[in-house]
Amino acid sequence: MGGQTGFGPVPTEDDGQFFHADWEARVYAIIRVLQRRGVINAAFDDLRDAIERIAPAEYLAMSYYERWLRAAEMLLAERGLLADG
Amino acid sequence: MARFAAGARVRARAADPDGHTRLPQYARGHIGEVVEVRPTWQLPDEAVRGVSRAEPVYAVRFRAAELWGSGSHCVMLDMWESYLEEVP
Repeated sequence: MGGQTGFGPVPTEDDGQFFHADWEARVYAIIRVLQRRGVINAAFDDLRDAIERIAPAEYLAMSYYERWLRAAEMLLAERGLLADG
Repeated sequence: MARFAAGARVRARAADPDGHTRLPQYARGHIGEVVEVRPTWQLPDEAVRGVSRAEPVYAVRFRAAELWGSGSHCVMLDMWESYLEEVP
């Protein structure tokens, strides 16, 4: 989806908060632990690649950290660490 | 060794790769100027396939007018060496 135009201005949240719900912080922490353990590469390439593989309609309906969570689920399943479903 | 030096004019490759890349669609085929040669870093396009190959990375400045046909600002992109070709 990267580099596409026609979506209007980028919405920003200028309230100084990194997370807007507890589950977002938990998703962030899980990703960082997976990186530390070498399951996801440290440069975020694996995560970006997985996010880009989310079906476009689904991707567009998701929030930022929902995409992180879905990407983590995909990577864990692909690497045999998480059972389907 | 880095193939390009600061000040070099370079063109972003126009090809549309199958998988992951950090080369944005909007820059493809366009000409920019190398502003800085950064240290080498592993190529993301291959890292996601489990291949670790480092390449020089360049900070490349593109004029908005070159990318979109209008605008007076510039866009700075980190470009891996294989994303770029020489401008004769």
